[in-house]
Amino acid sequence: MSTLRSAALILVALVVQVTVFADVRISGVAPELLVLLAVMLGYWAGPRRGPTVAFVIGLLWDVYLPTPLGLSAIVFAMVAFAVGTGGAELFRDSRVQLAAIAAVGTFGAVAGYALLGEVMGQRGLVDLEMLRVALIAGLVNALLAPMTRALVAWVLGPAFGFSDAGDVR
Amino acid sequence: MAPAQRTGRARHRLILLTLVAITLLTVDLRGFEAARVAQGYVRDLLHPVNSLVSSIFSPVGDIWNSIFQYDDLEAENAELQQQLDALSGAAIQAEADNAAYRQLLDSLDLPYALDLETVAARVERGPVGNFASDVVTINKGNRHGLAEGMTVVTGAGLVGRVDRVDGVTSTVQLLSDPSLLVGVRLVSTNDVGLGHAVPGEPGVFIINQGPNWPQISEAELLPEIGSAVVTDADSRYTADVPIGRVIEVRPASDELSLEVLVQLANDVEDLAFVSVLITEQRDELPLLPVVPNTSVPLDLDPDLLNDPNSVEQGSDGEVSQ
Repeated sequence: MSTLRSAALILVALVVQVTVFADVRISGVAPELLVLLAVMLGYWAGPRRGPTVAFVIGLLWDVYLPTPLGLSAIVFAMVAFAVGTGGAELFRDSRVQLAAIAAVGTFGAVAGYALLGEVMGQRGLVDLEMLRVALIAGLVNALLAPMTRALVAWVLGPAFGFSDAGDVR
Repeated sequence: MAPAQRTGRARHRLILLTLVAITLLTVDLRGFEAARVAQGYVRDLLHPVNSLVSSIFSPVGDIWNSIFQYDDLEAENAELQQQLDALSGAAIQAEADNAAYRQLLDSLDLPYALDLETVAARVERGPVGNFASDVVTINKGNRHGLAEGMTVVTGAGLVGRVDRVDGVTSTVQLLSDPSLLVGVRLVSTNDVGLGHAVPGEPGVFIINQGPNWPQISEAELLPEIGSAVVTDADSRYTADVPIGRVIEVRPASDELSLEVLVQLANDVEDLAFVSVLITEQRDELPLLPVVPNTSVPLDLDPDLLNDPNSVEQGSDGEVSQ
């Protein structure tokens, strides 16, 4: 995994999330691009390296959120670990499967963030609106997941089973 | 390496990450200054990039919203036209009201009429993410004299308070956030109360507690519909900043006390520019007695009443705003 490429991809995703997706919303829900990146990296990089990168992504996201520092980081790392562990048992060449993993991972990350936030004393995070947000964000990320494949391949490289074209060997 | 061994190492790493996260959470929740400063540096460092990308992709957001929120825009236009018509018709009445209000301010020696130092700011972006809908980021920070807790206004009235200050940007907690408690004064009766936004009802503010707050049998002491509501001199905000006008006076859910509903003067969901009042913030405010049977709304977190930044409840049943 290239550290420079990882850092570049994470920063671009962070800037897009903070700027573009502050305005562009689907039924009032901002696409969770950083969650998608954490889930996809967890899935492709596996349970050992995936959570570490996901943790960094979450930490940077926390800098912009009003919730305490470390909340997204811990949730992203756990989701990446779960996806990475489960992903090892699954085939990696199905788009439907990839979309399903992105949807479930995003739903888990959004719900986990809200639940842990409530535990940490943040009010009003867990309600029906949270379920709506998690569902829509999950669906949007399911659609975006196949498009991230080439980017993740660029970051991870051949050592993780990607060819130069982004296909899995 | 065996799969079980790999999974074991992955678990160890996850445990380590969890411990780091718990440490960061603890440090941040305890208000450790270095953690806040470090976060501010990161935001300041990325601010030029964010501003550039924001300005480049701003048309994308506009196009997106014009496509997918066309019906909302149409309805908003119709509503604005209606309001414009009403304003045109009531221009003379408004002038008279304004004169009366100025007279009242003069007679009460209210400081809102004085020239306060202000810093004009542009709203850079709305909320980021999906769980902080009542904040905006403005393009002024501590380099421009802003500090946490300062009052943010527009020409129409109160917008909110400065919540988080970085070098060149700040985050404003909007009045539409139900957790933001505001000490208010009803201009027509001079009653003082404590209010907050109503969850799920944008633009509506409720006042339901305060010292000597009228009981259900004292409805005649409450303000008339349409009368003005401003910030109280003993609140955390600059005194006498307009909040809105009374739209309804009704019994509270406990059927004992009354609550006053106010239409906010500002549409805080559609802000482009704001002004920050550069005033010294008070850390400690005078104690105010609260009516014993005052109701607290069911949706209001009782913990907020113990928040030293909003309301402090003493052992003798008194609270301060």
